[in-house]
Amino acid sequence: MLPQGHIEELRAAVGTDGLITGESQLQTYECDGLTNFRVMPGAVVLPRTAAEVQAVVRVCARHKIPFVSRGAGTGLSGGALPSAGGVVISLARMNRILEVNIADKYVVVEPGVINAHVTQRVAPQGYFYAPDPSSQSVCTIGGNVAENSGGAHCLKYGFTVTHTLALEVVLPNGEIVQLGSPTLDAPGYDLAGVFVGSEGTLGVTTKVTLRIVKRPEVVQTLLAAFDSPQAAGQTVSDIIAARMLPSALEIMDTLAIEAAEAAVHANYPMCGGLLLVELDGPGSEVDALMRQVLEICRNNGAQETRLAQSEAERMLVWKGRKAAFAAMGRISPNYIVQDGVIPRTALPRVLSEIDRMATAVGLRVANVFHAGDGNLHPLVLYDRSIDGQEEKALDLSYRILHLCVDNGGSITGEHGVGKEKQEALGYMFSEPDLDTMQLIRCAFDPANISNPDKVFPRTRLCGDKPGPYTPHPLETAGIAEIF
Amino acid sequence: MTTAAAITREECRTRLATIAGAERVVSTGETVTVAASDVEQIAEILRFANSNGIAVTPCGSGTKQSWGNAVEAGILLDLSRMNKLREHAWQDMTCTVEAGCTWTVMQAELAHHGQMVALDPLWPERATVGGIVAANDGGCLRLKYGSLRDLIIGMTVVLADGTIAKTGGKVVKNVAGYDLHKLMTGSFGTLGVISEVNFRLHPLESNTQTWTAVAPEPFQFEHALRGLLDSQLTPSSVQLRLSETECELDIKISAPAECMDEHSAKLSKICGVMELSPSDETVWQARQELHDTANAVVLKISTLPNDLCLLCSELQDWSAKKGMEIAVVAQANGLVTAALKTAPDAAIALIHHLRERLRNAGGSVVALQVPSPLRSTLDVWGCESNALPLMKEIKRRFDPNRILNPGRFVGNI
Repeated sequence: MLPQGHIEELRAAVGTDGLITGESQLQTYECDGLTNFRVMPGAVVLPRTAAEVQAVVRVCARHKIPFVSRGAGTGLSGGALPSAGGVVISLARMNRILEVNIADKYVVVEPGVINAHVTQRVAPQGYFYAPDPSSQSVCTIGGNVAENSGGAHCLKYGFTVTHTLALEVVLPNGEIVQLGSPTLDAPGYDLAGVFVGSEGTLGVTTKVTLRIVKRPEVVQTLLAAFDSPQAAGQTVSDIIAARMLPSALEIMDTLAIEAAEAAVHANYPMCGGLLLVELDGPGSEVDALMRQVLEICRNNGAQETRLAQSEAERMLVWKGRKAAFAAMGRISPNYIVQDGVIPRTALPRVLSEIDRMATAVGLRVANVFHAGDGNLHPLVLYDRSIDGQEEKALDLSYRILHLCVDNGGSITGEHGVGKEKQEALGYMFSEPDLDTMQLIRCAFDPANISNPDKVFPRTRLCGDKPGPYTPHPLETAGIAEIF
Repeated sequence: MTTAAAITREECRTRLATIAGAERVVSTGETVTVAASDVEQIAEILRFANSNGIAVTPCGSGTKQSWGNAVEAGILLDLSRMNKLREHAWQDMTCTVEAGCTWTVMQAELAHHGQMVALDPLWPERATVGGIVAANDGGCLRLKYGSLRDLIIGMTVVLADGTIAKTGGKVVKNVAGYDLHKLMTGSFGTLGVISEVNFRLHPLESNTQTWTAVAPEPFQFEHALRGLLDSQLTPSSVQLRLSETECELDIKISAPAECMDEHSAKLSKICGVMELSPSDETVWQARQELHDTANAVVLKISTLPNDLCLLCSELQDWSAKKGMEIAVVAQANGLVTAALKTAPDAAIALIHHLRERLRNAGGSVVALQVPSPLRSTLDVWGCESNALPLMKEIKRRFDPNRILNPGRFVGNI
């Protein structure tokens, strides 16, 4: 609980209609997309301007109150989980697109703007905003900046950091600073580059200048069916070796295909490994390259190849892919979504090892992954009603992350570390590495009040494990797909 | 020599010889040069320097040592012996390379598998990976492939106190922990010594074509340039070259051979009445030629892409009015290199004028190469960021004794 005096200071900062202190309303903010972690905040503020954010942060700095900023709460690693009794700064009301500059290819937005709305705004001029996390219809740019969100197309187009030119940030001491610039290479340290992906631990974003990209002339999407994910994986390697850079390369295994089919009837070929290849660019180039891709698929024993013949068909292909996670509920009562990265070449052995590990404990793992960049999303399926199975599933899910690190990869490709993977970060990085990151943290936030107790490992406590997947309320309501 | 009073240059030399071997230590004037052979030696050298308050300048081949404020280093930490491509995971399209490896040597190795780091820095035959990263150098390829920081996926850095830290990793997608390598890129050796860099790679551009159009003044390219950047063509490089008398627009496209005619036709349509002629790859050396101009002040100007033609015209006018020789290479992304041959006062006046002009758009002017007399009187960086106190705090945390290139960077960091 926050002392009444602090509550009044917050009220003065954002007004009565910008402050939530009632218990039932506070419950809305007690978790993000990682719903098995829940902590009740002391207050939620809903500022409308950077000055109001600044006033709130100054109150927090004065009284050393921990705070966390929050967008739509779709994050899957608990990054927006409040500190007990702390302040949640919801940026949902700061949702204006402030400037659209087509000639110089940027837009300026407030952090509460929804990702997909940026593209909607510039689409009439033939542009789009490239990072496309699957929750893009609801997730906000501020959250994307915090998590350095990617999406299925980041193989070619890069991540949020690639597209962030400048940020306005309220530092944890309440100062407002401009990081980066709409022009390139502003003199000084690249603080915008460091801030993106810092998971809310370095301050609060109040304005973002984003790069927009010209929409390609042609987009072609191919489905290719193989006997196994390994054969699909070899095809991916061969496509890369042929000097191509597709905009997306996705693989689903049999379990994932079954689930997606049951959920959205994407009309996928039933097979051991389904490869989705998307090429975009000038029409003649895409045609030439797609001919090569088809040949590579045939050389690797593709049973069937199917090129989407219309935009509707293409959308259906993607709908199945994006629904794959949520669709697991069709084939398993419970499941854990994991997010790890491996070098692409480690794919066959890591998949075999995951299979072996799952078999050894009597569980099934469905695999959906961004094969182009080695980002795995193993889905550990289990039944909570069977005694001991949840513990086995949690343990397996955690060991898969270690497997990724052991194979030269990472514990997270897009979900972030947040609350969920703090301990795993300690598995991936040594103490000197983490100490060095802390130097940055301490320069920005010496009082440790901006989203404290996140990202960095701490003493292991009971229950410090990745949790079973519980559908986010937005997902249950059918307005967002999450992976 | 900026060593603490407690240690003499000879003692410094002796200690460094113990660390790296006597044959790796050379004294020149007040500076002792030591060539490290591995990351542990770097760490030991820095621990020694840190505990004795000796200023250290990391150095590859020294091509950009004149950039930024002058530093009187007690130790020149030579990394040129750390020159190996440590790993090329070609199927994963990543590589790990030591900081002292020259760009050309690295690229030649990567080319065996048809790959490259998609960046075209200055003096690639001599410039080393560490120096290029520390100075955030890059050329026209940035239009298509993005900035250097986006090509770096991991790094090994040695901090002032000898801590060896790794950041990022060897996979292209990774959001675990802070991206320390982004902070290090372009930090001019003021936060740590880069010992190794992991890059993401791209396929070599195997089939390219360059075209050039000529006009008396930059404004005549405005329509073509806008049309090109607003088109669905994806050129590798686009630049404007400007001298006192004429202006040229260069465009390079990389595409499968069977598509080149179609691209050429589209390009002609976009350029309208401008006549495009095929030209050779040497036009892309233009930026380097400006840097090689003897006794010139070389500026890195950053503006918005849509401002390029206007800015170039203004520079042309300024040149005519003030009798100043100005040569310009302007990349389509808004980064402009300008070489001025003029009296110091006139150069300073132009720099101040440009900084004032670009302020509202968030642009900047850095005087990269400055003849010595001017270097001490001019604020070469022109950093007006309100985040400068934060940058200074980061420097203080990373290098509390100010031994790493002290004073070289913005705000005398």
